[in-house]
Amino acid sequence: MTQYLQDPALWALIAGTPLAATAIIRGRKARANLRQEKAELEKRAAELESSYAEAVQEAHTRAEEATKSALKSAMRTLQGLANEQQLAISKTQEKYGEHQLLQDLLEIDHMNSQFGRRAQSIAVLCDGWLGRQRAVASVYDVVRSAKGRIRHYTRVEIRSQSNFALVSRAVEPVALALAELLDNATSYSAPDSPIDITIRTVPKGVCVIIDDAGVGMNEEEKNRADKLLSATHATGVTGLGNPPQFGFAVIGVLAARYGFTVSVDSASPYGGVRAVVLLPEDLLTNMPEPEEQPTTHAPAAAEQPRVSASTVSGATAGGLPKRRRKGSISIVPRADSTSAPARTSEETASIMGAFQRGTQSGRSAANPNREGHDPQ
Amino acid sequence: MTSPGEQEPESAQLVRPYVITNGRGLPDNDQFNLITLVTASEQRQPSHLDPEKRRLLELCSGGYLSVAEIAGHMGLPIGIVKVLLSDLSTDGYLVTRAPAPPAQLVDVSLLQEVLDGLQARFG
Repeated sequence: MTQYLQDPALWALIAGTPLAATAIIRGRKARANLRQEKAELEKRAAELESSYAEAVQEAHTRAEEATKSALKSAMRTLQGLANEQQLAISKTQEKYGEHQLLQDLLEIDHMNSQFGRRAQSIAVLCDGWLGRQRAVASVYDVVRSAKGRIRHYTRVEIRSQSNFALVSRAVEPVALALAELLDNATSYSAPDSPIDITIRTVPKGVCVIIDDAGVGMNEEEKNRADKLLSATHATGVTGLGNPPQFGFAVIGVLAARYGFTVSVDSASPYGGVRAVVLLPEDLLTNMPEPEEQPTTHAPAAAEQPRVSASTVSGATAGGLPKRRRKGSISIVPRADSTSAPARTSEETASIMGAFQRGTQSGRSAANPNREGHDPQ
Repeated sequence: MTSPGEQEPESAQLVRPYVITNGRGLPDNDQFNLITLVTASEQRQPSHLDPEKRRLLELCSGGYLSVAEIAGHMGLPIGIVKVLLSDLSTDGYLVTRAPAPPAQLVDVSLLQEVLDGLQARFG
């Protein structure tokens, strides 16, 4: 034992043990502190991260909003200009209706329509102005209007007509959505292949079916299209990709806003895509005919003097008097029927009375002669 | 740019003229001029005609109308109406008649002779 007592190592051990113990205790404390600090730091980091994400999201939203409002007002100007230009082109077309210039005017008109559509599409994504309210129009006319807004419109064939019309608020959105579908159809198919449109009445409304003979879509493209078309989330302008693909995003927004459905998940009989637009009953109305009546007659009545005056001066010789008598039925009876009911009931009564007195006196006067003039 | 209120009364046609003719411009042949007279033929209308063609046939069903009158009623440029007319007459739904020739300017001396003759006989 004494040899141990003399061993400096023992003394060193004895002296070292409390030191070691304190060191261990301190180490533990320090570790606990560290752990606590780490936890705090982690918590703070998480907080920072979430607030950072929030800030980014907010900045994103703000940037989106700013982009939208800037684009919206820019597009509104462009849309206004396109509309003005369209009216100017219409007037020039009327003026040079017979001139060789008409052909060029038609082409300019076509380009202007495409230009207007592009501006409209961007405006739709920015929750902007869609354009003027249209009058009620037949589904066939809306489809034709859509056809006129794409570049290769001559490839589009409309195979059927419909007795239904679209309510005025739905005319422009449906035409724009159809135009975007047609644009896709012509872009993703061979340059000379036809695009067929069929209009079909179904129990839930009217279907416009667009068949192209293109390459179709793969699963990924279909999923993307479905996501955009169902419009569960708005894409906005910043999520369009590069190069930006407007089509489905625009259609999705329009469909959600106006309550029609668009699906592109079936294949066309030609191997391409079949797009089906289902227009529900509340967007439809039943009146293409009464809608046409006032526009037929109002200008007819208003223009009659001008037209007949110009033709009288143009061809006084033979055909005109005869033509006026036979005339277009829509013109002449209108003028008569509006002037006819101007009589008061007293006048009518006195006329009828005069007629009756006349026939009575005529009969009594004719009676003696009658026997003599009755050889049959 | 004008405000939407100002634009309301004037709205361009929904279906543009180039769509109505499907991109075709003026027909090459001079079958129709402003005073060519047109009327609907006896042939029955098919059911699948475009609205513009149907309306044109309706306009012409009452008797002869000139191309200028038709264009006025339809509110379309004359060139477009001519394309439609040419389609319809090719398909046999329309009959055209050349305009009556403008009256010849009659020789004044001939008129004088007629007058003299009438006066000699009845006067």
